[in-house]
Amino acid sequence: MPRGGLLTALLLSCLLIGGCQEQETEVIRMGLANAPLNLDPRFATDATSERVNRLLYQRLVEFDPNSMPKPGIANWQAITPVHYRFTLNDQAGVFGNGEKLNARDVVTTYRQVLDPALGSPKQASLELIASMEVIDEQRVDFHLKRPDPLFPAYLTLDILPAEQIERAHDFAREPVGSGAFDLIAWPQTGELHLQRRSDGQVFQLIAVNNPTVRALKLLRNEIDLLQNDLSPELIGYLRRQPALRVEQQPGSNYSYIGFNLQDPLTGELEVRQAIAHAIDRQAIIRWVMQGAARQAESLFPPEHWASYQLTSHEYNPEKARKLLAELGYSDSKPLRLTYKTSSDPFRIRLATVIQSQLKAVGIEIDLRSYDWGTFFGDIKQGNFQLYSLSWVGIRTPDIYRDIFASDALPPSGANRGRYVSNTVDQLLNRAEQTDKLSTQAELYHQIAAELHRDLPYIPLWYEDQLSAQGSRISGYQLMSDGNYDGLAEVKLKRALDGDHVQSTTAN
Amino acid sequence: MGRFLLSRVVTALGSMLGVACLVFLLIHLVPGDPVDVMLGESARPADRQALRVSLGLDQPIETQLVNYFSGLAQFDLGQSLHSKRPVSELLAERIPATLELAIAALFVALLIAVPLGILAAVERGKAWDWGAMGFSMLGVSIPNFWLGPMLILCFSLWLGLTPVSGRGGFSNLILPAVTLGTGFAAILARMVRSSLLEVLGEDFVRTARAKGVAELQVIWRHAMRNAWLPVITLLGLQLGALLGGAVVTEVVFDWPGIGSLMIESIQKRDYPVVQGCVLFISLMYVLVNTLTDLVYGLVDPRIRLDGSI
Repeated sequence: MPRGGLLTALLLSCLLIGGCQEQETEVIRMGLANAPLNLDPRFATDATSERVNRLLYQRLVEFDPNSMPKPGIANWQAITPVHYRFTLNDQAGVFGNGEKLNARDVVTTYRQVLDPALGSPKQASLELIASMEVIDEQRVDFHLKRPDPLFPAYLTLDILPAEQIERAHDFAREPVGSGAFDLIAWPQTGELHLQRRSDGQVFQLIAVNNPTVRALKLLRNEIDLLQNDLSPELIGYLRRQPALRVEQQPGSNYSYIGFNLQDPLTGELEVRQAIAHAIDRQAIIRWVMQGAARQAESLFPPEHWASYQLTSHEYNPEKARKLLAELGYSDSKPLRLTYKTSSDPFRIRLATVIQSQLKAVGIEIDLRSYDWGTFFGDIKQGNFQLYSLSWVGIRTPDIYRDIFASDALPPSGANRGRYVSNTVDQLLNRAEQTDKLSTQAELYHQIAAELHRDLPYIPLWYEDQLSAQGSRISGYQLMSDGNYDGLAEVKLKRALDGDHVQSTTAN
Repeated sequence: MGRFLLSRVVTALGSMLGVACLVFLLIHLVPGDPVDVMLGESARPADRQALRVSLGLDQPIETQLVNYFSGLAQFDLGQSLHSKRPVSELLAERIPATLELAIAALFVALLIAVPLGILAAVERGKAWDWGAMGFSMLGVSIPNFWLGPMLILCFSLWLGLTPVSGRGGFSNLILPAVTLGTGFAAILARMVRSSLLEVLGEDFVRTARAKGVAELQVIWRHAMRNAWLPVITLLGLQLGALLGGAVVTEVVFDWPGIGSLMIESIQKRDYPVVQGCVLFISLMYVLVNTLTDLVYGLVDPRIRLDGSI
């Protein structure tokens, strides 16, 4: 065949195949940044698996918008400070194997995770439990080792069917849950097919790692929905597309700059204060993040029940320069620090902006970016002066112990900055010993104030949750922690004639 | 022939054993802990320790190495630390995609490079030669991370001819194969040109022309037949590289091949999967090189596999 003929044939076949691709389907497709790795809730640790598992399974406890625990499939009653009774309510569903979720399933799931032989990474968060007993089909009693008014907030495990647990069923590949969705196919690692129980609507969750390609697939109607993990430029570009709808909602993931307090330079409070006054967070949020974040002053966002109103370390370069001058630094003798961040391009860009803001007050930053494993290894070992990271999905203020207690230095805890404060230690102990939530909240407020003064972290912002939706769907609601619960409500838009898809304009 | 194959198998086993050992030690030397990567910053120390024990990462490295090799002796590549799935299963899932893309890219490369190389050699010093070599230079210079998105933009978004990404039907294969094949085509075209130019100056070509053989026949049947050897060597090397996974192209087009699996696994410090991928890649290189040696004999009957000519 002559070359021209071959090219024509190729082009025609492309047209034919391309034409076929254009056909609309009844499936709703969501683009994910990463594929879920393990759908066994006892072992799943990556965010995508956790979010997919929320769709497949049910939990005893959920959270309200203020992050207070609320009944999920069970209501609870504190019989004594160390004895809780959970009673399954009418939200408890039926497993994929046809069995109704009951108290035995709850106890078997929790006992499994608590069994050291299983090696579940979720064991330590439940170490407060001394024993459990099934009262009847609907009721379970939990006995605690010590009082903790926050205990219900720890009961967020996805419940598995006892019968399948006993048979050592492979939940990682064949989940059997009682949630709003069933897994109907998993044809390849990055593609899951789910079916919504309420109406049989089929969803495909497709992993597309590259954010640009993910956005292009949305534009080409190859997927209907994207959530997060998009650069501000891509979000801006998608906003300008008339066929798409971009939505934004305040998020709760907390970004910060952490200091090594054992380092002779960043161990100085005045240095940390100077850095805090030199960073213009509002400018970064407005110009770099295009408004997709809220300025943070503490670990918990304002709507969280344990949050506390604190005065901002305002942007004041003059004050920063003055603090540095008092320490003997000047333009001819600048303060030189090393700043570590991950290799994510957006994180590097943010770090570059911070580097430039610090340079303006006379701080020379040597910026180093590493792949996650190396970066995190360095942070854990204390091999840093300052770094930036985010805390994702924090619900309960007991996290303060893990990250700021003097006995929580790595490897025993996440106090990576080696922050030591007797006051904070005492407040943490008192918070743990109290059995009243209001007293606990007051103590956590005092801890937040101490941390605000000592500055082991500079709070940066809470990043917003963002979604971009194609014209075929409606009703998807964003959640503040980025979970996919909105899929329970999303619908395919149908035109009145039944077969054609409506087009909508962007907001 | 039998002796040749036996010596190849022995060499291959030795190399793969060496590679497996080296990769095992190197990946464990790289900073970063798989447990940290899996659990993130929020995990409690006791949870980390529980996971480390359950994954066998609490054992000394020499014990882990012995365990790995005893598994390997039984054709057990181990289990992914993250997904808990057997590495052999993960590889089996990705190998068809890798083969598909490698073969398609090689086909694209040949389709572009052979006519272009011949044209450049035959029209040496003329506009065709400059044009072909200019294209070749362009092909080598354009990085796949730029070419891929440009092709997507043009053929998927503007013209709507192909899907944006992912693996599926024939249409999904076109853009990644063209992206990957173009770079190879550029190198291959230069090799075809230089190899053919060398042969075109030989006496037998002059004789064929003097005998009045048609020019097309002189080039294809006489000259090209003798010019294939260096081209085949290059093809073998390129096929080996392609089968080892084309990371950038796989990432751009979300192609579920070995290359992207290896990168994901390195980032997650999923040691058994990285080791499995490297073993597969070294096996592919050995196979392709052996195949190249066998093809030499077919293309040039003067070459015997026992080493004599």
